[in-house]
Amino acid sequence: MRKAMMTLVALMLMLVPATALAQTTDGTVTVVHGVPGLTVDVYVNDALTLEDFEYGTVTDPLTLPAADYDIDIRVADSDPASEPALTELVTLPAGANATIEANLDGDGAPKITVWVNDISNIDAGNGRVTVRHTAAAPLVDILANDGALFSGVANGAEGVADVPAGDYNVKVTAAGDAAAVVTEVPALTIPEGTNVIVYAIGDLAGDSFQLAVQSIGGLHTPPAGVPSGTGGELTNGLPAWLLASFAVAGAAFAFGGVQVARQRG
Amino acid sequence: MKSAIAAFVAGVLLLGISLGVWALSRPSAEAGDAASVEQALSTPVTEPITPPTPSTTITSLPDSTQPEPSDAQPTTPQFTIGVHPEGHNRVPVTLRIPAIGVEAPVKPAGVEADGEMEVPGNVSEVGWYKYGSAPGESGSAVLAAHVDLAGSGPGVFFDLRLVEPGDIILVDLDDDTTLTYRAEARTVYDKDDLPTEAIFSRQGPQILTLVTCGGGFNRSLRSYDSNVVVYAVPLDEAAPVSPKDRL
Repeated sequence: MRKAMMTLVALMLMLVPATALAQTTDGTVTVVHGVPGLTVDVYVNDALTLEDFEYGTVTDPLTLPAADYDIDIRVADSDPASEPALTELVTLPAGANATIEANLDGDGAPKITVWVNDISNIDAGNGRVTVRHTAAAPLVDILANDGALFSGVANGAEGVADVPAGDYNVKVTAAGDAAAVVTEVPALTIPEGTNVIVYAIGDLAGDSFQLAVQSIGGLHTPPAGVPSGTGGELTNGLPAWLLASFAVAGAAFAFGGVQVARQRG
Repeated sequence: MKSAIAAFVAGVLLLGISLGVWALSRPSAEAGDAASVEQALSTPVTEPITPPTPSTTITSLPDSTQPEPSDAQPTTPQFTIGVHPEGHNRVPVTLRIPAIGVEAPVKPAGVEADGEMEVPGNVSEVGWYKYGSAPGESGSAVLAAHVDLAGSGPGVFFDLRLVEPGDIILVDLDDDTTLTYRAEARTVYDKDDLPTEAIFSRQGPQILTLVTCGGGFNRSLRSYDSNVVVYAVPLDEAAPVSPKDRL
């Protein structure tokens, strides 16, 4: 009997995650074009999905069933049967939020990079900034309001930080040299509860270097509470008329007590 | 002996009657159906993965065909996400509750270092949770103010506990429009049980949520143990507001 109970409990415990999973069989995908000088067509499982996709573009998020996807990228208007310029098999897990990026590696060769975006909850009042180095450029530092945010970021690497929501001056500099500013965003807005993802793309030597931005909202959490009183005025006590009637009742009791005492005395 | 008995009886009667009158005349802490408002705000409206956020449109960047200066000057791309600093088209500036004689300026409020909502230190001001919904947007627009403050005395929401279902609440916005609400429910939550997910929901029906402190007061902590919350719903814009409801 005891064993049966244990089995039942174990079964019930196994059922809980299964139900939770049933609600999120989809994943979310965003596509970023970071290969300069090339307009492309993007095929997903041999179907033309993005046509004449231009350098620097970030798509809206697509919701797709969790599965493996063949991503082929061809120069725009190429024969769909032709050899793709870039190809990648991408696995999209359920509930994942991914970005597929065509970008340059550190030597300037095009490639496909798959990023998993951090969509965990963000504390009330904060936003999240993600910086991804996907340009043909050496190591960089990222400064926010002239303070170091991420240091020594290499091509293919990212930095993720939760920061108070607001506007930030963001500079990308050569690693270790704050004066060697590669690019500067005077006011990058990091909205509350939003992951703002900044991609450095292009070729620093070839004048095509620029930034692309994706943002994922809805990651907010509520404040912990609403502290709105320290005076104690509300509990200053009972109304005056009630206190007065207490006094009168008290006097009546006292009078009665004195009478009793006299009788006995 | 007779007079002693009479005195005792009179004392007991007086005590009983006055306590009874007091208990009956006291405004009850709760009124209206707060649970259904809470429920409506807690019901997910969109798919659970990533709710769409219209204020954070994806920004496409400056045209890549633009010739870059050849001497590798830093580029200065412009990014703008959303219209208002917090993505709101219009924000509340004044709150009026004629039934309890409140007319108070509304200031945007964020989050304290400890993760709680910022409530204006000036007890005659009302804080609007700027990261959440604004009045007129989907979800719960939260306006919070002090019931009182040590050293400042009673605050602008001292009488919030007296707002009754049906009372009119007016919110003036910075575009010179006024939204009219009708109080739907008043309730008291133990601070540990405050349904923050519902109260600060950014989706669902349009609700105006007024929050202050109440309940028992802990003198050593200088803190109340509860929150008084009034939920209000938008009045049909066509519905007239009678002159007596105007301050």
